[in-house]
Amino acid sequence: MAVYVYAVTRREHPCRLGGLTGVGPDAPAVRTLDSGELRAVVSDVGEAIRPKRRDIAAHQAVLDRLMADETPLPLQFGYTAPDDETVRQVLAERADGYLDALAGVQGCAEYNVKARQDEGVLLRGILEDSPRASGLNEEILAGDTDPRLPLELGQLVAAEVDRRSSNASADLIRALAPLARAYVVHPPTGEDFVNLSLLVPRDGEGAFLDAHTGLTREVDTGVRTRLTGPLPPYSFVP
Amino acid sequence: MTMMPQGAGTAVRGDNRGGSTSSLYDVLELILDRGLVIDVFVRVSLVGIELVKIDARIVVASVDTYLRFAEACNRLDLEAGRKAPAQLPEVVGDMLEGGGRGKAKGALGGAIDAVKESLTGGDRDEDEDEDEDEEPEEWEEPEDEEREEEEQPVRRRRTARRAARRERE
Repeated sequence: MAVYVYAVTRREHPCRLGGLTGVGPDAPAVRTLDSGELRAVVSDVGEAIRPKRRDIAAHQAVLDRLMADETPLPLQFGYTAPDDETVRQVLAERADGYLDALAGVQGCAEYNVKARQDEGVLLRGILEDSPRASGLNEEILAGDTDPRLPLELGQLVAAEVDRRSSNASADLIRALAPLARAYVVHPPTGEDFVNLSLLVPRDGEGAFLDAHTGLTREVDTGVRTRLTGPLPPYSFVP
Repeated sequence: MTMMPQGAGTAVRGDNRGGSTSSLYDVLELILDRGLVIDVFVRVSLVGIELVKIDARIVVASVDTYLRFAEACNRLDLEAGRKAPAQLPEVVGDMLEGGGRGKAKGALGGAIDAVKESLTGGDRDEDEDEDEDEEPEEWEEPEDEEREEEEQPVRRRRTARRAARRERE
């Protein structure tokens, strides 16, 4: 039977998985497969599952549980192997790489920081600092219907938004990166201007969170950050 | 210690020995796009889930973006006189709560909220989600969102949009 694979851990990992149900409509039990010094966390899965959001939540719940005892290598969502034997074989063949990767994340958790600008604060700041922008804005509000005015204003403001976002992003990285063992900058999505993942040693989490709290107190820039973690080190596996 | 971003409908509550709580929405892209890949394994189809990966970053160079920013500035100025002093404490409050998602819709956000809401809005079937998967540059917003704003700026904004549209045609 095919198996869904959640994570690779050291064989010593206690894998306290009781009470969890795995990915798929049948709510299967989550179990482990050992090979040499490694252990894979898996559950049985039908051949043609069509995953839903609750399956992503199930995947994440298994990894959260594993994190509580020792940092695992989290698999990307959605990987299945045809049978137990294939999983054991992969563990055996790639043991050295996985053991190295496990050593690299040992004692750490991922924290993800996303940030966006408060639009009102940002635009107000730009209008205050740019006489040209505020001049254009006033002309439009005074009733000038020349279509070039909003275009020029918008172009000017867009460029300035970009510049300020890059600066804010660099500030954020400068403040947090020294407290992490490693960091990765992901492409931001939606309204966010930064999407940053950091690998933070668990014994340094307090200092890291303090630094983050310090950042959020700087209200004048209108930057709002969202911190998620501790997470399995999704961004720090091979 | 609470570190979860709030305002997201769907939360994953893990084993609480580590106090780990995270918003599914904010970690979705990590779970789907990062993590260990084992190439000899087979990946299940992500149809229906994939839409979350739509990268709808609005800040790009385009006429539509410029007009949105211009409108946002025009709107801002109307509110500035009476609202500016109240802005600071509001921002602090939002941040302590993790950011009022969905509250600040404007040039930076706008249409991507539709996608976001389809993600955080409970356990509907993905077929419904696909219906909401409209192109990010959509101008018209649903009525109820418009209603949240004050009367005068809305009217002005609509007029401005119509004008801008005519000019472009």
